[in-house]
Amino acid sequence: MQLQPRIEFQNVSKVFYARRQTITAVKDFSLKVNPGEFVTIVGPSGCGKSTVIRMLDGITTPTSGNILIDGEDFSEKKVDRETLKKIGFIFQEPNLLPWLTVEQNVELPLKIMHMNTLENQVRVKELIDMVGMRKYASAYPVEVSGGMTQRIGVIRAMVHDPEILLMDEPFGALDSITREQLNLELLQIWKKTHKTIIFITHNVEEAVLLSSRVYVMATGPGRLTDVVDIDLPRPRTLDMITDKKFIAYTKQLTSLIGEIDLSKIV
Amino acid sequence: MALKKKTLLHTIAPIATFFIVFLFWEIIVKSFELPKWLLPAPSNIFYSMVANFPAFWPHIWMSFITIFLGFIMAIPIAITFSAIVTNYVVVSAALTPYVLFLVTTPIITLVPLLMLWMGFGVNTRILTVLIQAFAIINLNSCTGFLNVPTLRHELMDTFGATRVQRFFHVTLPTALPDVFTGLRLATIFSTTTCISAEYVGGNSGLGSQIIMYSQFLKTTESFACIFYVALIGLFFYQLVGVVQNLVIKWKI
Repeated sequence: MQLQPRIEFQNVSKVFYARRQTITAVKDFSLKVNPGEFVTIVGPSGCGKSTVIRMLDGITTPTSGNILIDGEDFSEKKVDRETLKKIGFIFQEPNLLPWLTVEQNVELPLKIMHMNTLENQVRVKELIDMVGMRKYASAYPVEVSGGMTQRIGVIRAMVHDPEILLMDEPFGALDSITREQLNLELLQIWKKTHKTIIFITHNVEEAVLLSSRVYVMATGPGRLTDVVDIDLPRPRTLDMITDKKFIAYTKQLTSLIGEIDLSKIV
Repeated sequence: MALKKKTLLHTIAPIATFFIVFLFWEIIVKSFELPKWLLPAPSNIFYSMVANFPAFWPHIWMSFITIFLGFIMAIPIAITFSAIVTNYVVVSAALTPYVLFLVTTPIITLVPLLMLWMGFGVNTRILTVLIQAFAIINLNSCTGFLNVPTLRHELMDTFGATRVQRFFHVTLPTALPDVFTGLRLATIFSTTTCISAEYVGGNSGLGSQIIMYSQFLKTTESFACIFYVALIGLFFYQLVGVVQNLVIKWKI
């Protein structure tokens, strides 16, 4: 019997109506993600990659095509709260609420989704410990560093123990050292929990390092152009970045995105 | 240490200004021998404020309570109203033009009519203050409620938040600085409106006293009342500031 995919897009299009024109953000996008898979979507800015995962999390709905989450069709209706409980969304910016402390920010999804159980309360503490922020639990977001606030953004999305994590260029605004460190932390989390992850990035190295499969998108209109399976052993480490196979993948992806002329890279 | 220095500066500088201005005024009045009915010396005004306090007190209290009641009642009405207006497009479309009408029309123009309908009593003046404060608070609250960053709304989307949850968890806290700006402005407008309404009719409240003393060329007493009005206005303005600092503890 074939495994039921956790997330499936069938010829999904999304059109925005601006004042005098219609903009096709995503056209005929199809994708299939099985439970426990880690896939990335790469592409130049404006290719609609953020729009794709925004359709999965109640932020927006598709104009045409079908979206299935665990077999349930969400093409006509917004993703409902019961399904949203299975999903955690991580924004490009930490998107923390400045009037709440670190701990209150992490608890926020539990309060709103009425999941404030004793078990989840314990998880709040565990997650804060996991990212080494116990000392800062009662600090306000402005009082901690950029890397720390993004860590809080990540654990806030995990506090209700969702099966699916959607990550919209989560570490894009961070310096490369913090970024690498967070990528490794993310791989450890994934290894431990085996969540289904869709990770959006424009960084091909990040895509190769993290995922099992890379979806490549192009602009005008935003569409899927290629799918590349990353056949590298796990667990992945930072040493692998200098591996021949790794470099071959990044070169292949870079040329597929077609944003940069490879001959110019020294 | 640095903080102490700053606080000290902010205490001493205004006091120094106060003395310089009033000293200057005093010197001008004394050296030109200006008559009391034209421009009284500050020393005479301050003396009158103290000496005639028993006569002033009922009117101070009257103006104070008028402003206070009108302002306080306007707050929940205005915030609830603006929350509803900004949340439902239909309500907004139906009511916005009239609210704008209320904001742009000087409320003082309504006072003679309100007095015609409700009499010269304090209730009319409280209602006038309420209408004025409502208009200002509503305007600023609407601005705040509509200026919530999209990203925060999207965060609420990802939790499947209801309208009410969205309002209390994101919209209201985000808009609080704007709401407080509205409250501060409303204290100023409330004071102005109250005194204006007292000018128009009735024989209680500081406004009525200012008119009366001016008619008898008792300029010193007039000034004393004006200073009391200024103190009331300042009190409410500062009160909002204190409450704001208690409520908004985070830095933006």
